[in-house]
Amino acid sequence: MPHDGQDSTAIQAKSRLDGELLAVTSAALGAVSPLLERATQLGRERTVRDGRVAADLVEAEQSASHGLAWLATYIEALTQMQAWAERLDAEGTLGEVERLILAIAFGEYLGQLAGGIPMSQGEILRLHDMGLTRADAACLEHGEVRLLIEQGNTQARRTRLVELMQEQSANVTVGRTGLDDELEMIREQFRRFAVEKVEPEAHGWHLRDELIPMPIIEEMAELGVFGLTIPEEYGGFGLSKASMCVVSEELSRGYIGVGSLGTRSEIAAELILCGGTEAQKQHWLPKIASAEILPTAVFTEPNTGSDLGSLRTRAVREGDDYLVTGNKTWITHAARAHVMTLLARTDPATSDYKGLSMFLAEKEPGTDADPFPTPGMTGGEIEVLGYRGMKEYELGFDGFRVSGDNLLGGVEGQGFKQLMQTFESARIQTAARAIGVAQSALDTGLRYAQDRKQFGKALIAFPRVSGKLAMMAVEIMIARQLTYHSARQKDGGKRCDLEAGMAKLLGARVAWAAADNALQIHGGNGFAQEYAISRILCDARILNIFEGAAEIQAQVIARRLLG
Amino acid sequence: MKVLVPVKRVIDYNVKVRVKSDGSGVDLNNVKMSMNPFDEIAVEEAIRLKEAGKVEEVIAVSIGVKQAQETLRTALAMGADRAILVVAADDVHQDIEPLAVAKILKGVVEQEQPGLVLCGKQAIDNDMNATGQMLAALLGWSQATFASKVEIEGDKARVTREVDGGLQTIAVAMPAVVTVDLRLNEPRYASLPNIMKAKKKPLDEKTAEDYGVDVSPRLEIVGTTEPAARKAGVMVGSVDELVDKLKNEAGVI
Repeated sequence: MPHDGQDSTAIQAKSRLDGELLAVTSAALGAVSPLLERATQLGRERTVRDGRVAADLVEAEQSASHGLAWLATYIEALTQMQAWAERLDAEGTLGEVERLILAIAFGEYLGQLAGGIPMSQGEILRLHDMGLTRADAACLEHGEVRLLIEQGNTQARRTRLVELMQEQSANVTVGRTGLDDELEMIREQFRRFAVEKVEPEAHGWHLRDELIPMPIIEEMAELGVFGLTIPEEYGGFGLSKASMCVVSEELSRGYIGVGSLGTRSEIAAELILCGGTEAQKQHWLPKIASAEILPTAVFTEPNTGSDLGSLRTRAVREGDDYLVTGNKTWITHAARAHVMTLLARTDPATSDYKGLSMFLAEKEPGTDADPFPTPGMTGGEIEVLGYRGMKEYELGFDGFRVSGDNLLGGVEGQGFKQLMQTFESARIQTAARAIGVAQSALDTGLRYAQDRKQFGKALIAFPRVSGKLAMMAVEIMIARQLTYHSARQKDGGKRCDLEAGMAKLLGARVAWAAADNALQIHGGNGFAQEYAISRILCDARILNIFEGAAEIQAQVIARRLLG
Repeated sequence: MKVLVPVKRVIDYNVKVRVKSDGSGVDLNNVKMSMNPFDEIAVEEAIRLKEAGKVEEVIAVSIGVKQAQETLRTALAMGADRAILVVAADDVHQDIEPLAVAKILKGVVEQEQPGLVLCGKQAIDNDMNATGQMLAALLGWSQATFASKVEIEGDKARVTREVDGGLQTIAVAMPAVVTVDLRLNEPRYASLPNIMKAKKKPLDEKTAEDYGVDVSPRLEIVGTTEPAARKAGVMVGSVDELVDKLKNEAGVI
């Protein structure tokens, strides 16, 4: 692309970031989009054999392939930010806060495209890692792109954003989310619930490693949390995935454990809705919606985490029933649950996903004294750094009996496919949990930076402190827009595994960065268990691991992009 | 019996209030607005009376700008049955004075014929604490203010009032206007199913003219100032110096 006089273009355009921000960001987005097309094309050249993407080639080129996933995530993130800003602009609500967020987001993410995308702290992906040449990267020299890289994310903008954040601290979110009034009313209500009932207790539950008290779960059930997306005909409220995002976000902002209580109900309900028989829907869904039944998800085994297809727990038919034998691990909330969505191998001749079936295995909820009273089943707690409140367990099954009626869908061998159908929803929900945790890090960091005085002033007066807070707010908005976009796709009945994966991938990194930086603002106090940020850091760490680790998520995205 | 609950859209209690540069009032541009907290308590009480079988219908009414319909939706999501919005201002900065509000409410009462009006004791924006009392006077109804407990017993309302130094319990003849205080109840969270139902509940829109009320202000705002900033303190060297300063500078002893 010719760039005669590009410097003067940049100078001329200086004021344009204020006057014509949306036109500048739109032009920049258009300018960098070919980068993704070219990277995808190069990726295919590396990984396609005999007209198909070869798994071994993708693996051999793993860094480049996963880099492609990250590049696509960045472009999609900016696309959604642009769409968000244009929607607000059209309704006349694009204010100074939102414009600052947009400018900083574009400046930062475009800058990272040019300089290197942090897939994790120690893995910076550069364009040449994907085989892109300087000629391919010339689009980053485009006038509007340069302008945003140089002037989008400046200290002045970050400082101004934090000034406004402090002035408008009564607002529930930093910047308008672009969601409708009803969803924002839901947010207000759940924020209030979290502030009054959850936040004051969360740190104590964590430190004492306690289960979240039942009265909290009962109150959440009354508010409708567990039946949120279950259709009305099955006792739920038939609300959108977007509303599930808002609820999960605000509950997780109070405490990740509380925001995650609904996850298992969501997974169980999705499994039953997508794969269950009519009788199973009639029987289970109303009880899940009312929280009369608390489900738990039993998939992972000691030797099968991400490689779920190779799991070994067996379910053997005996008369009308099945007998389950094997070991499971990382089972969240297992002791208190009433039913397990249990994945086991029904066809011993197979060693891959094809021989797996899903069961709705009933169990008796345990007590502290006897956590696993049901015959044929034992369990032990796994002590963890964070994400407490429901507790993690390893389970052993030895001839554990499951009624034949509780084979999901009534047909064997469908388990993996049934589980796959829930991934979109589970990832959207997990992305929302990540946003909530990131937001709680921002809330906590902001409060500390305002209260703590050093060198005669509040910490927040130092640009590197306020700059951290500004970046949290900006990245939270980016993760939000990606997440809401995938929720809208899901609500519209469209396939959204790609978008949901991107939202989860980015959201988890954003949450970890926010928690780490908010702890840094606390200095030594952040390292003391007494301060809530020490817990938020531990809670944030799980987001990059569960529901598809960052590497698996990038792999799934890359496979879809490569076709 | 119907209960009428007037609710006001006010600056959110968490907002750090800023005075407009010309001193004409408080800057409400881009500021979070919410239901007046005392009105929320009134809505909650009305819903509890309905749940207890003492009343059949809860009607929320708001007078102000068009955006007050958000406030009414909140009341509906909490459990009010229907709402009336009286649009009486175009600009959020135009506050309608208590007498005009009371006159409009009188019109609403005459149409709706409630047996009880439950309202917040005051709005947290201008702290007038006048509308409920004026409404009772205009209607010729009994009034019970600053309620911390409300019981309906036949044609009487037994109301415990928070007065200086303690509690006073009075019985007033119905129909009555009761203004509620902070400790009456804790308002509920609107549940997801109720938030969904709220959008289907009727919300009628009216204007001040529909009730023949002139809302132009009778009071003139002379000035609005922020509280004076706290001055820096001084270290005193001795008790004698402290006593001297308290006596001669601060004039407090």
